[in-house]
Amino acid sequence: MIISKKVEFAASHICRSPKLSDAENERVYGAAANPLSHGHNYVVEVAIEGEPDPVTGMILDLKRLKDVLEDRVLAVYDHRLLNREVAAFEGVVPTVENIAIDIWSRLEEHIDPSGRARLYSVRVHETNELFVEYRGEA
Amino acid sequence: MKVYVTRSYWFSATHRLHSAGLSDEENRVVYGKCNNPHGHGHNYEIEVTVSGPVDPVTGRAVSLDALDMLIDREVLSPLRYRNLNEEVAAFRSAVPTTENLASEVARRLHTTWPEGPKLEKIRIHETDRNICEISG
Repeated sequence: MIISKKVEFAASHICRSPKLSDAENERVYGAAANPLSHGHNYVVEVAIEGEPDPVTGMILDLKRLKDVLEDRVLAVYDHRLLNREVAAFEGVVPTVENIAIDIWSRLEEHIDPSGRARLYSVRVHETNELFVEYRGEA
Repeated sequence: MKVYVTRSYWFSATHRLHSAGLSDEENRVVYGKCNNPHGHGHNYEIEVTVSGPVDPVTGRAVSLDALDMLIDREVLSPLRYRNLNEEVAAFRSAVPTTENLASEVARRLHTTWPEGPKLEKIRIHETDRNICEISG
């Protein structure tokens, strides 16, 4: 069984790679390459797989999950310039793909200390027209 | 690392659900209001999911510009503001249900899908409540 929880944060980013020329950056990222940055309201959907506990009827403690999302994701990402203020994006372009992968790695070990439930996927919606899902695959 | 990227598009079109294999009465029973001989329209939303590894330099799994161009050329331009029954060859024989529309969109994308990211699935929303999904 899979349970999903949704949280939102607002952040700015600059999609430019130091390994590409200015012209290549403009071609690859278009308007998102603006060196002065731009922002989004990101929606993060975290899906967790497990079986309901026979006593509580819950896959995991949702109150605790809320705190984990708050501490591990929102406290780090919300109202930040991702390129400068989130360590994972030192030398890594904060595309929505890389944001999904970073959020996965921030959460995976912290979802359920008992090990009964596990992180199944992280979806990050950058706009209404674009989202990325990461399932921990290599 | 493999990620799944989903991009949404939309187009408006007219269709009429009527099968040549059924009597007029049967068509009315099977398709209800959708059998109206004058046709009717929808704003169709198409979600295209593509998977692939994230490029270590660009941080992208797929070029959104290239995907947008492909979808526009193969799907949106040919279907946008069309009468699907009258103007799209596939629906001369097949009834333009959401199911058949999803198959037709998949067929169109497969004919020119480039090397690289994999087409995972296509979801077509005919209305907010009526959604059809087909594996790529």
